[in-house]
Amino acid sequence: MSPVLETEDLRRQFGRLVAVDDVTVDIHAGEITSIIGPNGAGKTTFYNLLTGRLDPTSGTVRLRGRDGDLIDVTDRSANDIANLGLSRGFQINNLFEGLTVLDNVRIARITRENRTTDITAITSEDSELTDGAWDVIELVGLEDVAETECANLSHGDKRKVEIALALGTDPSVVLLDEPTAGMNATETRQMVQLIGRLNDETDTTFVVTEHDMEVVVGISDRILVLDNGSLIADGTPDEVLSDEQVREAYLGLEGDEELEAGLGTDGGDDGGEMA
Amino acid sequence: MVSLGLVFDQLITGLTIGARLFLIAVGLSLIFGVLDVLNFAHGVLYMIGAYAALWAIGAVSIPFIGLLGIGFWPGLVVAILAAGLVGVLIEAGFIRRVYDREPLDQLLLTFAFVLMLTDVVKTTFGSGSNVVDPPGLLAGSLTLTSSLSLPNYRAFVILMSIVVLAAIFVVLQTTNVGRLVRATSSDRDMAALLGVNVPRLYTVVFFVGAALAGLGGALAVPTQSITPALGNQVIINAFVIAVIGGLGSFAGAFVGAYLVGISIAVGSLIVAGAGQLIPFIAMIVVLLLKPEGLFGGAEA
Repeated sequence: MSPVLETEDLRRQFGRLVAVDDVTVDIHAGEITSIIGPNGAGKTTFYNLLTGRLDPTSGTVRLRGRDGDLIDVTDRSANDIANLGLSRGFQINNLFEGLTVLDNVRIARITRENRTTDITAITSEDSELTDGAWDVIELVGLEDVAETECANLSHGDKRKVEIALALGTDPSVVLLDEPTAGMNATETRQMVQLIGRLNDETDTTFVVTEHDMEVVVGISDRILVLDNGSLIADGTPDEVLSDEQVREAYLGLEGDEELEAGLGTDGGDDGGEMA
Repeated sequence: MVSLGLVFDQLITGLTIGARLFLIAVGLSLIFGVLDVLNFAHGVLYMIGAYAALWAIGAVSIPFIGLLGIGFWPGLVVAILAAGLVGVLIEAGFIRRVYDREPLDQLLLTFAFVLMLTDVVKTTFGSGSNVVDPPGLLAGSLTLTSSLSLPNYRAFVILMSIVVLAAIFVVLQTTNVGRLVRATSSDRDMAALLGVNVPRLYTVVFFVGAALAGLGGALAVPTQSITPALGNQVIINAFVIAVIGGLGSFAGAFVGAYLVGISIAVGSLIVAGAGQLIPFIAMIVVLLLKPEGLFGGAEA
């Protein structure tokens, strides 16, 4: 498996706190990789380092660009990294609530389609831009609500728009933060199916942080476990769930049942840090 | 009893003042709305626009360079570019480094530019006042009745402010670039994740805001005497407008600018020499009753 995204001894300190502690990992192209870990394990900081929102204290991030070369993106700006093909699912409160779903996705397409230099380009008459946005909307299955203002969408649809925005930049890797947080059972099932389908149909690599272990096990080709900023396990769902160190990380939980229960009910996410 | 003609003249004067104030207030709002920076130096950019126009017209000369003397219309372009480029220098060279700091640091930094640039202009052009005539094309007046007439140049200035407001609305609401500006204004991290080059967009927005101030200053040249203190005079009114209209709102900047302009001109009829009194009273009333401004809270 060729890596599409890899880190080498990636480290970030905030004062004395080591939020991400020399993490070396490679994300395989075309796979769905979940990152799990208790609150404060460093998942959010790890994402912020990957997307260029935070600079690492030390270490390297490499991303396979659209031309196939592995590029050192450690010191690149967030927009450069986005243009190289790394995208991140946005939090709901980042959608443009007053604009329609179509307009939201169009915004994601503007830079991708290189529509920034012509200041006279009228968005609604830019057919290439609109066609590109429609492709993404159809892919995610938002056709019925394309002309609806985001403020009037159901929670489940808003989360789909997040994914549509992330896909709008034609990424090779999409990072998602808790894609099923706050969803009911039906919406959760649909979201899991959607991510699986997008992964199959578009060959997009997904990295997902998630608390719901049922979702994690159902969706992942591979699971990474972070604890106190360190990578403590890396493997298939079966391998990771039977790992002793992973159980210890969850405060002495013993046995698979308790582990799953402990992870699954860990409801408070680190959304606050991400906002 | 004041005559109808006098009231009308003052009204036109007020509208002209309002139009010029709008051009500075709208740039201030644009920069605040997108960059979240309160640019104290915006009045100085207006003043630089005015001097650039004076230089281009041939009314003042720069030591060792001399006069330009290319006339009023090319002078408008010179003023827009001069103010815009000084703005880019301030943003890309300095303000960019303090985006993540306290708002107070940004305010102090831009205030430093007020002091420095005012002195630079004073040293270059002297502190005397300069008066020029409107361009020949717009000399004369439109006679409405025997006692009422509308100077062509003032009508032009008022028209320009409406054109600028309309242009800003059209660009922001309909174009791709406008959408990126609004997206960045609402969440710059998200915009960067969508691939927007936020620092470059900030520089472009600062250029546009500064250029509008320069245009306002250049348009002021034939209607008032220009001194290096002009920047400080207008920035206070621009902040009054921002409070009344709601900072970040373009409609608020427009309505606020005309309210302030008219109340300065008409107010001086009521109490001679106290033209600034009414805008300040209006500002206090707005601060007490609707602190977010008349148009505050609405998306820019």
